[in-house]
Amino acid sequence: MSAIGDILHLLITANLWQATLAAAILLLLPALGGTISERSGVVNIAMEGMMLTGAFFGVAADLAWHNPWLATGVAMLAGALMAMVHAVVSIQFRADQIVSGIAINIFAAGLTVFLINRIYGLQDVGHVDQSALLPNINVPGLDQIPFLGKVFFQQNVIVYVALVLLVLTHLVLFRTRLGLRIRAVGEHPQAADTAGINVFAIRYGAVVTSGLLSGLSGAFLAIGISNTFVPNMTDGRGYIALAAMIFGKWTPFGAFVACLIFGLGQAIYDNNSIIHISPYLLSMLPYLLTLIVLAGLVGRSIPPAADGLPYVPGSE
Amino acid sequence: MAYKRFKFLGVAAVVLMVAMACGGSNNPGTSKQYKIGLVTDIGGLNDKSFNHLAYVGLEKAKTDFGIKDDVTESKSGNDYVNNLTGFASKNYDLVIGVGFLMQEAVGTVSGQFPNIHFAIIDGAGTDANGNDLKHTNVESLFFKEQDAGAMVGVIAGWMEKNGKAKKNKHVIGAVGGISIPPVNHYIAGYKWAATMEDPSIKVLVGYSNDFTDPAKCKGQATSMINSNADILFQVAGGCGLGVLQGAGQAGVYSIGVDADQKDADPSVIASALKKVDVATYTAIKNVVNGQFQAGALTFSIANDGAGYAVDNLTVPAELQTELKTFQDKIKAGTLTPPADIPTP
Repeated sequence: MSAIGDILHLLITANLWQATLAAAILLLLPALGGTISERSGVVNIAMEGMMLTGAFFGVAADLAWHNPWLATGVAMLAGALMAMVHAVVSIQFRADQIVSGIAINIFAAGLTVFLINRIYGLQDVGHVDQSALLPNINVPGLDQIPFLGKVFFQQNVIVYVALVLLVLTHLVLFRTRLGLRIRAVGEHPQAADTAGINVFAIRYGAVVTSGLLSGLSGAFLAIGISNTFVPNMTDGRGYIALAAMIFGKWTPFGAFVACLIFGLGQAIYDNNSIIHISPYLLSMLPYLLTLIVLAGLVGRSIPPAADGLPYVPGSE
Repeated sequence: MAYKRFKFLGVAAVVLMVAMACGGSNNPGTSKQYKIGLVTDIGGLNDKSFNHLAYVGLEKAKTDFGIKDDVTESKSGNDYVNNLTGFASKNYDLVIGVGFLMQEAVGTVSGQFPNIHFAIIDGAGTDANGNDLKHTNVESLFFKEQDAGAMVGVIAGWMEKNGKAKKNKHVIGAVGGISIPPVNHYIAGYKWAATMEDPSIKVLVGYSNDFTDPAKCKGQATSMINSNADILFQVAGGCGLGVLQGAGQAGVYSIGVDADQKDADPSVIASALKKVDVATYTAIKNVVNGQFQAGALTFSIANDGAGYAVDNLTVPAELQTELKTFQDKIKAGTLTPPADIPTP
C-alpha cells in the first residue's frame, strides 16, 4: 500500500506535473503531425522515423554551428524530407501507405547509424554545449505563481511553441477554409476534386507538415532535453504518438489529452527510485491507464473516411 | 511438409558448413590470418561504452596480431542469432558477442556450430531460461563490476561525509538501465562502498527500463535531484548520458560508467571502468595463441580488468589515500564488494 501512498504524494508535487507536460509535448508534436496527415487522407505511421532523422540532423547541425535555432530548422527540414518520400510514394505512386511508413522508420534507423559512422567514425557523436541547447525559459512573473508557475511557465521553449501549435492546428483544421479543405480531401477526395480543390497539393502539404512537426519533436528530444544523439533514441515515441492520435479521435486536443496520460505515466515511472514497487509493474502504468481510458471513456474511434486510400483522379 | 523439407535443408546446410569448417582448419604450416567477428548489441559501436570498448580491443588485437576483423551492429534483439550465424557460417576463428542481452543467441548459435569458437562479454551461452549450456566452444568474459562500482562509491561517500558535494544532504543516486546482473553489480559495489564511507548516506536506486533514450534517464536523474541527491551514478549506457547532462543542468555531480566519460558533461567527477577492451583483446590473444578456454574468465580490479578514473575533479590528498587503501584491500581480497545490491 505504501506504493499507492508514494504515488499520491507525488501527484501533489509540481515537479511531477512539470515533467508530465514536457514528456507529453514530445508526443504531442508528432501526434499533431499525424492528425493533420490523416485528416487529409494519408495514413502516416512514419513519425518515428521522421522524428529520429530530425533528432540526428538537429544534433549534427548544432555541433557544427552552435546555433540551436538553426539546428532546429535543419531538424524540421530533415523530417520534412523524410515526409516528402512518404508523400511521393503514397500520393504520387499510390503505394500502400502502411508499408511506406514502415519502410521510412526502418530506413531512418539505418540511415542515422550509417551517417554517424560516416561523419564521426566509430566515436560517439559528441555533446552539444549547454549554451547551444534549446533553452529553458521561465516566463517572468508568471513562473512565480505557486504550483502552476512551475508546471506551465518553467519549461523548455519548445513546450510553449508546441502549445501554440496545438491551438493553431485546432483552429486551422476546424475554423478555416484550409482546414475544411483538408478534411474534405480526407473524407471524400472525389467530391473535393469536383469542387475545385487540388487534392494532391493538400495531401502533399499535410504530409510534409507532419514531417516538420515530427522533426521539431526530434530536435526537442535531442538538443532540448538531451545534448547528444543516441541511435534509436526516439524509443518508439512516434508509435505512441500514433496511438495518441487515434485515442484522440484525430483531433488535436483529443491527442493532447492522450499525450498527457502517457506523459503522466512516464513522469510517475521516472520516480521509481522513491516509489516502493517493482519498476516493471510501474512501467505498465501508462498503458494500463490507456486501456482503462480507451475502454471506459473514449468509445469508438472512427478515422477519416478516405484515410489510407490513394486518390485516383476520375475514379468513382 | 514444406516446413519439414526446409528444416532438413537447414540441417544439411549446417552439416556441410561444419564439414567445410573442419576441412579449412587443417591448413598445414603457413601462419594463417585469424578471422575475428564482433557482433554488437543494440547499443551500437558509438555507445562510448562497452560496444565501443570491445571495438577498441579488437583494433588493438588487429595491430598486434594482424587479424582480419569484422563488425556487425545489431539493430534489434531479433538480429543477434542472424549476425552471429553470419560469422560462424563463414568459418571465423572467433565470434564475439557483446553483451548480456546476447546470451541466448550465443547459446543457440554455439550449439549449431560446435567447431567455431565463441566469446561473449557479460554472459554465457544459455538456453531460453538463462541456464548456462556449458558449450565447450564458448568463453564467457565476466566482470566484477562491483569492484569498479565500489571505487566510485568511495568517492561519492567520502564527498558526502566531508561536505564536498553540492547539497550535502547525504543523498546520492544510481540510475540503472534494466535490472540485470551487470548493472546491479555496479550499483551493489557503489552503494556498499558509499555506505562504508558515510554510514548516514541514503542511496536512491532507480531503473530507466531503457538503454538508448537519454530523456528517460534524465527523468530519473531529475527525480533523484528533487529528492536531494547530489551525486548521480549512471549505469545505463547511452540512456545514462541523460543522467550526466541532467546532473550538469541542475548543478550537481555525476559519475560515468564503463568508459571514461569525462567529456560527456562537465559534471562528471569520476567514471567506473569496465575494461571490455582488455577482455576482448585477451579473448582474441587466447585464440591466436591456441589457448582458447571454455568457461568463465573473470576480469576485476585484481587483474586490471576493472577500475576507475577521476575526471573533472581535483582530488584532495585525503581522498586519494582513501582510494588507494581501498583498492589495495580489494586487490588483496581483504575487502570483497558484494554482487547483490545491499538492502538498507
